[in-house]
Amino acid sequence: MSFKTDTQTLEDLNLLGKPGRESVFNIYNHTNTRGGADILEHLFLYPLSDAVAINNRSQTIQYFSREKLAFPFRSASIDSAEVYLGMTDKRTMLSREDNNLSRKFSQLIDADSGYKLIYNGIIAIITILQNLSDFIEKVTSSASTTPYQTELEKIMSLLAHSDITVLIAEKKINKLSYAKIADLDKLLRFTNLSKIKEVLAFIYQLDVYVSVAAVALTYNYIFPKALHKDEHTIDFTGVYHPLVKHAIGNTIRISPQSNIVFLTGANMAGKSTFMKSLGIALYLAHLGFPVAAEKMEFSVRDGIYTTINLPDDLSSGNSHFYAEVLRVKKVAKELGANKNLFIIFDELFRGTNVKDAYEGTIAITEAFAEKRNCMFVVSTHIIEAGEVLRERCANINFVYLPTRMDINTPVYTYKLEPGITADRHGMIIINNERILEIIRSRKNKTIS
Amino acid sequence: MSFFADKQTLDDLNIPGRQRNNSIARLFDTVVTSGGRKLLDSMFQRPLSNAAEINNRSSIFNYFARQSITFPFTADEFGIMEDYLSSGQRSSLAASIVNVVSKKVLQIAVQDKEYVQLNTTVCQIIGLLNKFYVFVNQFPNEQSAYKEQLDSIKNIFADAGLKWLQNETDVKRLSLVKLIRYDYLLRADFKERLQELIEMISLLDVYIAVSAVGKRKGFCYAYALPDSRNTITVTGIYHPIVESAIGNTLVMHQDCNVLFLTGANMAGKSTLMKSFGIAVYLAHMGFPVAANHMEFSVKDGLYSSINVPDNLSMGYSHFYAEVLRVKTVAQEVAADKNLIVIFDELFKGTNVKDAYDATLAITGAFSENRNCLFVISTHIIEVGETLRKQYRNFRFAHLPTEMDGSIPRYTYQLKDGITSDRHGMMIIENEGVLDLIRSKTKSIK
Repeated sequence: MSFKTDTQTLEDLNLLGKPGRESVFNIYNHTNTRGGADILEHLFLYPLSDAVAINNRSQTIQYFSREKLAFPFRSASIDSAEVYLGMTDKRTMLSREDNNLSRKFSQLIDADSGYKLIYNGIIAIITILQNLSDFIEKVTSSASTTPYQTELEKIMSLLAHSDITVLIAEKKINKLSYAKIADLDKLLRFTNLSKIKEVLAFIYQLDVYVSVAAVALTYNYIFPKALHKDEHTIDFTGVYHPLVKHAIGNTIRISPQSNIVFLTGANMAGKSTFMKSLGIALYLAHLGFPVAAEKMEFSVRDGIYTTINLPDDLSSGNSHFYAEVLRVKKVAKELGANKNLFIIFDELFRGTNVKDAYEGTIAITEAFAEKRNCMFVVSTHIIEAGEVLRERCANINFVYLPTRMDINTPVYTYKLEPGITADRHGMIIINNERILEIIRSRKNKTIS
Repeated sequence: MSFFADKQTLDDLNIPGRQRNNSIARLFDTVVTSGGRKLLDSMFQRPLSNAAEINNRSSIFNYFARQSITFPFTADEFGIMEDYLSSGQRSSLAASIVNVVSKKVLQIAVQDKEYVQLNTTVCQIIGLLNKFYVFVNQFPNEQSAYKEQLDSIKNIFADAGLKWLQNETDVKRLSLVKLIRYDYLLRADFKERLQELIEMISLLDVYIAVSAVGKRKGFCYAYALPDSRNTITVTGIYHPIVESAIGNTLVMHQDCNVLFLTGANMAGKSTLMKSFGIAVYLAHMGFPVAANHMEFSVKDGLYSSINVPDNLSMGYSHFYAEVLRVKTVAQEVAADKNLIVIFDELFKGTNVKDAYDATLAITGAFSENRNCLFVISTHIIEVGETLRKQYRNFRFAHLPTEMDGSIPRYTYQLKDGITSDRHGMMIIENEGVLDLIRSKTKSIK
């Protein structure tokens, strides 16, 4: 079963983003090849839901990062090889019989572009194979204890094929005769096409490992450790938002004894950013990718659902409140299907009056609290709801992001503290804006 | 100074913009001519602030509503007239002769079409003007709000220099000499008078279109009182866009200048508040309003806060956006303006205690300004109870919910008193959300 999420979540966490916009995907998207980019995108869209698979991938990337391995191919070679292998029409195959005067003449005046493509492609593939062979030789001993070994062994057996070993041994690749090229064309493009494609696939995969490992090194990201799903525990240490400059790390532990994080704080105190950083880290952790934190261990989840920027669906005539109710209902259905989920709700029921929001938040959070196998992060500005929940549920972890008043300007620390915030800035803001004085400053209050 | 409503208010009430779905401007956008459309737009942009002007305009609409007249031109016909007058300057008779004769010569020499075209256009215009003359004369010659304008139209036609028009009814083709003469007369001598006439026709277009909408919808015309009296009385008010809307009666005056409205989420609070805002705005335009009867003192402006948008890009929270909105209104009130203010469910984006404190303080302070009228809705009924003890100038009203088993029904009929109806939890329960969460709960330590 795969790890589940939905568009709302992907957009809330800005995981994929749109072209040209900042997104989490763009942090990692530095592959050298187009094939690598395709694989990376696929990995991003389909997180893993198996602890072994996650740890294997993570350890492979860690290995690349530890050894600081660089991409051992020139992208020009890869491009030529791709173009060459893309020509699957049999009629373009070179043959020895065509080696006549007219061909030589057109080659001389540089008019035979078809031949040029084929020639370049063949040379590129030979170079690639030789580079690959060198690379394998280089890493084979250091990778022997890592999960990457399996992939290496597979490709090594492929390269051991006699047709390929000859090419790897070829020394004078710049002096190949027309007849030789024609032979190789048949060999590479038709007889052994599937093998060559496998080699390219291996290279694309390698590209992904190299580029993701480089990201970990550049930003000092760490590799989370996947735990068995039945532990229902996540330990975030120093987790921060990867797209926020100078972000401050926070530490929180979620376990069946405290599986609800109840977050309060002023509007600008960083509630949403904190929640997003948890969601992003957990999602990336399920990819086996490095994350923005100091340390992280997590039980594998079946899915993640966030509700941070819920759009109004006014065209269908629903109020924002009703849109929120439907969103909670959707998540509730997933919860009812007995999955182990990670749920984030930012400002639950912000679309309605404070009284309904107060009751709704208490009722929903209380029901959530019974799902000990799931994890919830709920934020609200209705601090009164927190007081009630504190008495009713033992497994809620109350935390807040504080605001310090520096005379009349609020200052934010972005550092999580235990408890429910006591900050009441509503009246302070109204007083700062001197609204009551302005209203009362009118001279003629009644008509004479 | 004209009656003022800012962008937030106009958006809340969805008044301007005939391209916008369900906007009030679109409701009235049944004019035929482009000139009429421009006039209608400017009426929407600048409501009146003088009781006499308002009553004058609304009685003209009312007059047309009684006449049931249809506009005599199509948009194309009217377009021909506008194009003809705005193109081709004729500075002198000589220039006109040169122009027409050269067209005639070209026609003979190279079969040019311009001469025939000009001839046809001038004939068409003569036809249209005659048609309008007949139309104008069918109005009964009685004392009416429109009489003044009617007379000035008739005056234009009565001009000695235009007498020839009536001799040329049904003319299809003009001789060269006549063409030169008429072309010159229309485009030079009578250019200004004809432009004036076009203005009058555009205005007539608006009168006919708006009064027809008002009549078809069964709207009434509000009567403007001098602004020295602070009162609004409106019976059977409803939302002009809402299908089969229910009418309500609102009476506000100096000694009862705050309407404190409570009711459940779907009970129709926002719709009632919007109906009120729209009626006030249209009434200040002299337009027909969706009500049975309305009398109002002319005010300086209208402010509403119904859907305050967050400005997260500027780092404003919803709460702060609301605070700034209230501040804007406070400054206007302090500047001695006599306003109508509509606040729907203030201070959503904060905690219960702050929302209570803020609503109480703000409402109390505003209500002391007896020259302004306020409609304020909230779910925090405790605010209402406290205000009831402190102030005498509030009317407490609510929109009730009647329970039909577990299904709420709404009457949309205003009643006195404060209600504690709330259905947030009921909506959550009706959707079965809590049961869904609790189904199949695994018990782990």
